[in-house]
Amino acid sequence: MELCSEEAPRFVWEGAIPLQIHLHESEVTTLPPPPPALILGPRIGYLPLLVPLLKPYFSSTLPPGVDTVWFDYKGLPLKWYIPTGVIFDLLCAEPERPWNLTVHFRGHPGETLIPCESEDNVKWSFINALKEAAYIINGNCKNVMNLSQADQFELWQSLMKGNMEGYQRITSRLKLGPVGEDCTLKTGSGQPRQALGETDTTGFNRAGRIPVRLYVRNISEELDDLDEATAVDSWDSISYMNRPVEIQKLEVQHLTLRDALKALLPEIFEDKAMSDNQVSSKEEGIQAINSSFEDLRNTEFEETSIASESVVLAKKPKVKLIRIQGIEVDLNIPFFWVINNLMHPDYFLHICVFVGASSRQ
Amino acid sequence: MAGESSMAERKVVVHLRATGDAPILKQAKFKIAGTDKFSKVIEFLRRQLHRDTLFVYVNSAFSPNPDELVIDLYNNFGFDGKLVVNYACSMAWG
Repeated sequence: MELCSEEAPRFVWEGAIPLQIHLHESEVTTLPPPPPALILGPRIGYLPLLVPLLKPYFSSTLPPGVDTVWFDYKGLPLKWYIPTGVIFDLLCAEPERPWNLTVHFRGHPGETLIPCESEDNVKWSFINALKEAAYIINGNCKNVMNLSQADQFELWQSLMKGNMEGYQRITSRLKLGPVGEDCTLKTGSGQPRQALGETDTTGFNRAGRIPVRLYVRNISEELDDLDEATAVDSWDSISYMNRPVEIQKLEVQHLTLRDALKALLPEIFEDKAMSDNQVSSKEEGIQAINSSFEDLRNTEFEETSIASESVVLAKKPKVKLIRIQGIEVDLNIPFFWVINNLMHPDYFLHICVFVGASSRQ
Repeated sequence: MAGESSMAERKVVVHLRATGDAPILKQAKFKIAGTDKFSKVIEFLRRQLHRDTLFVYVNSAFSPNPDELVIDLYNNFGFDGKLVVNYACSMAWG
């Protein structure tokens, strides 16, 4: 399998969700109430970027006051700094089309949501995510920080307008990938990644760390139909984790998505005794970076080994669904393909994991 | 999820560094639970400095989103056993 597809990133960039956006009833001051706005929301975009399109629909009916726009889905205020496609994948277990969202121009829920005052906030958040990713990959984010104002502007405009070529023109200079032999040839040779904390890496080597944002949502284990999943009523019920995958050898291109997920979420993906798996995953050249989880696994192993096999199986949460860029990805797909083709433009791989939790607990 | 209780016991050393004209704190290092979100660090700084507007960075480079767990930030960006957090009263690194 080609690790760098020409087509796949284009599908990611062109992906959009049909939205049906309703103005919250408390803000409707006219009769009849305005009809909902129907727009396409780019998957790689962010909800506040739709505001210039939405305002003309609703401005004439709004009560007096100052606008601070926010969105909710079934009562849950939406985090604007998560890409629209990821929020959709996470909150609509069964994809809802069109996706019915509610927009508010007043009454911002200050406590639970950071307000987004302007497009600049979104840009700032995106550039920061890009810097984080660069830091994880290269051990510093000098290349992103050294972008000129003009380049930063072009990068942002390209993202907003869905201009993949413009985006790639700038990001090719950031030395952030892609991974895999056939890909690195295209962008120049790799150099060993320098130790964390050192500041002058100029080359890159994607055999190092892959930035991943994980969103783990629990759904009822007994659920047969995703349609019946209870709506998320609080962000507290979603575990949000940023754990990089460490790839120890450049040549390990047969790594699958399953291997990567096992390393990222050993609590969920372990299918054998933990100690065995730890050894085998190292042999495969991959492991989760955080040593704290190694300790954790050891202690867990000791505890569970006392219990009988059947008890261990019953306790283990079951993976119901893995979704990346709206796709239910086959776990046997090469992980490098997933990184190169399904990452978000902020260079993070955003993975939604649905876990079946026993309702008996 | 499995193991959350053990994770909560893990503390992360946060080293606070003033940038620009921001006042220097008497206590620059403190420990925080790994399961806490970065927003807790921001809140702490806001209270200490009595300021609503504050720019908070990691490694003089970027501002993580407030939902990120301190343990994740430490694992991703920490070195020498601590997480370096810079704070400024005006934007320092755009």
